[in-house]
Amino acid sequence: MTSKKKRSAHTESDSWVVIAPDSALDTGRSVDSDPSFIKLKNPSTGSSSLYLFGCGDLSVYEVKAFSEDFRSWFIGQTVQRDGRLLYVTPMDPLFLLLPYISSVGKEGKFQSVKQMVMDEDYPGCSRLLQCKQGLDSLHHVADEKEVNDQKYHKYNLEKTLEWLKKKVQRTVNALKKGNISVGGGVKSSTFVRVKHEDASEEDYLRYAHGLISEYISEDLSKDLLKHLELPEISSPKEAEPPSKKRKLSDKPVEAGEDYTKFNSADFARKPPKKMTAAQKSLAKADKTGMKSLASFFSPKVKQEKN
Amino acid sequence: MDLSDFEADNSVSCRLSSSIPDVCKTEDCCLGIDEAGRGPVLGPMVYGICFCPVSRKEDLKNLKVADSKTLTEAERENLFVKLDEAKSFVGWALQILSPNMISTSMLQRAKYNLNALSHDAAIGLVQYALDSGVQLKEVFVDTVGPAEKYQDKLSQRFPGVEVTVRPKADSLFPIVSAASICAKVARDHAVKSWKFAEDLGDVDTDYGSGYPNDPKTKSWLLKYLDPVFGYPQFVRFSWSTAQTLLDSKAVTVHWDDDEEDGEKAAARQNNTSVLSYFSRNKPSELTHTRDIHRFFTERKLKSINTL
Repeated sequence: MTSKKKRSAHTESDSWVVIAPDSALDTGRSVDSDPSFIKLKNPSTGSSSLYLFGCGDLSVYEVKAFSEDFRSWFIGQTVQRDGRLLYVTPMDPLFLLLPYISSVGKEGKFQSVKQMVMDEDYPGCSRLLQCKQGLDSLHHVADEKEVNDQKYHKYNLEKTLEWLKKKVQRTVNALKKGNISVGGGVKSSTFVRVKHEDASEEDYLRYAHGLISEYISEDLSKDLLKHLELPEISSPKEAEPPSKKRKLSDKPVEAGEDYTKFNSADFARKPPKKMTAAQKSLAKADKTGMKSLASFFSPKVKQEKN
Repeated sequence: MDLSDFEADNSVSCRLSSSIPDVCKTEDCCLGIDEAGRGPVLGPMVYGICFCPVSRKEDLKNLKVADSKTLTEAERENLFVKLDEAKSFVGWALQILSPNMISTSMLQRAKYNLNALSHDAAIGLVQYALDSGVQLKEVFVDTVGPAEKYQDKLSQRFPGVEVTVRPKADSLFPIVSAASICAKVARDHAVKSWKFAEDLGDVDTDYGSGYPNDPKTKSWLLKYLDPVFGYPQFVRFSWSTAQTLLDSKAVTVHWDDDEEDGEKAAARQNNTSVLSYFSRNKPSELTHTRDIHRFFTERKLKSINTL
């Protein structure tokens, strides 16, 4: 009854189902400052992700999609193939500023934020400079200097780690309050604890660290783990066996077992070039009266009767 | 025949019945079971039972009930009226299985096939007769396919009742003929006066016999095929006729219990097939990106870069 069906390529839809806070959708005071989606560099992956700037770029929101297979929407009198549900949630702009500040910080100079937050690939990042919350909290991750009413900053790793530690702690509180199960053994899709889970403080810290790591670079995530005094769990990737290396040769690649070549007329058995010591000693052995192993597999030849 | 109970909601299964004659509660009775509308792609399937005291079998014969298939529609109507008038000793009950119910049963995740559906409808009706106090001694059933298995099933289910399952029982036993007339009349009425739940405007009711091989039925199916929703509930979606048309004419719909090949399905779902883990070259996304935290993966949340 169910036949294999071909799936056509996804077509772009012109509408989306979004859950967003009122603040994000507040259309504003001037026309050119409406809320807008924009691509920025994801501080965790380094690739592009979608964000939303609120009215007047005063605040930034991250965009996450709930997407599962086999979902579509019925919207009014239409069907939408894309069954995604987009969540627009407020985000601390400092997470987005951090990669720019920390990369410049290695040069060890005080610089103005404007100089630091520049990105050819993501020109939209300059809009982060409008987010007051981000600018006001720069001192959490950088040293500040003020010259001629102009502020200059220099990345400070210790400060950053201390700031992130606070974030982790606040996340732990939120996890506890939200009754979110952080234990390793719990994999229920309902995320509701059946019994009281005795998750240790370390479970919470680790879980929160993992969550915060979704917003920072991998290196910083490792530093933060140390700063939180959590031992690193060896990743399962390292436990993999080393891959066997195939010897390279100039000869064209042939299948290891190609039986077709035995069928060709010009097939000739070539003597092996090199023999191991064991093979050599075997070769010297007296073989008179012995049948070769191969003969057992060859078609039976009728013995001539005398 | 008053079908108003069924017409109130023609998307589910509905039971209609006559009153139970008093004589049936005191005397040993025989009961016949037959169905109408098993094959059509349109409309409900109706299961009917008829019962009367064993001693009154001759009276039933005198009503000249015969296999419903040999009768014209008008003759069937007349006979049903006669049966209904003989309510002093003849009782009947019907189970109308709506096309929607047939579709949803057969197409649900744990498949419930038409035979099981039919058997359960028959069992339900016999149980109804027993529950109503009918002194059942003999049950005659018309069967399609292997009669023995069905007979064993019914005998086990109703110990103390002699069950006879026989092909063409509707022409052999008057009580089965009577049941077949009840079922057929109900089906005719239900189809003729079908109230479409869908807003189809003036529905063209010229759908022929409703059997898949009827060209009129086929063209009606084509006419009322909606690319998104398929058909009105009047159509049995589980029929291959309906499915073939849907496959070729309607928008493709994927359900998560559709069977698909592992590798292909994985590619489509944008994740990595298990097989790829065994190959030497891992897909690039596995080698240099960190795993997304389980808070997000468990909740199926992803960052996106396009709308």
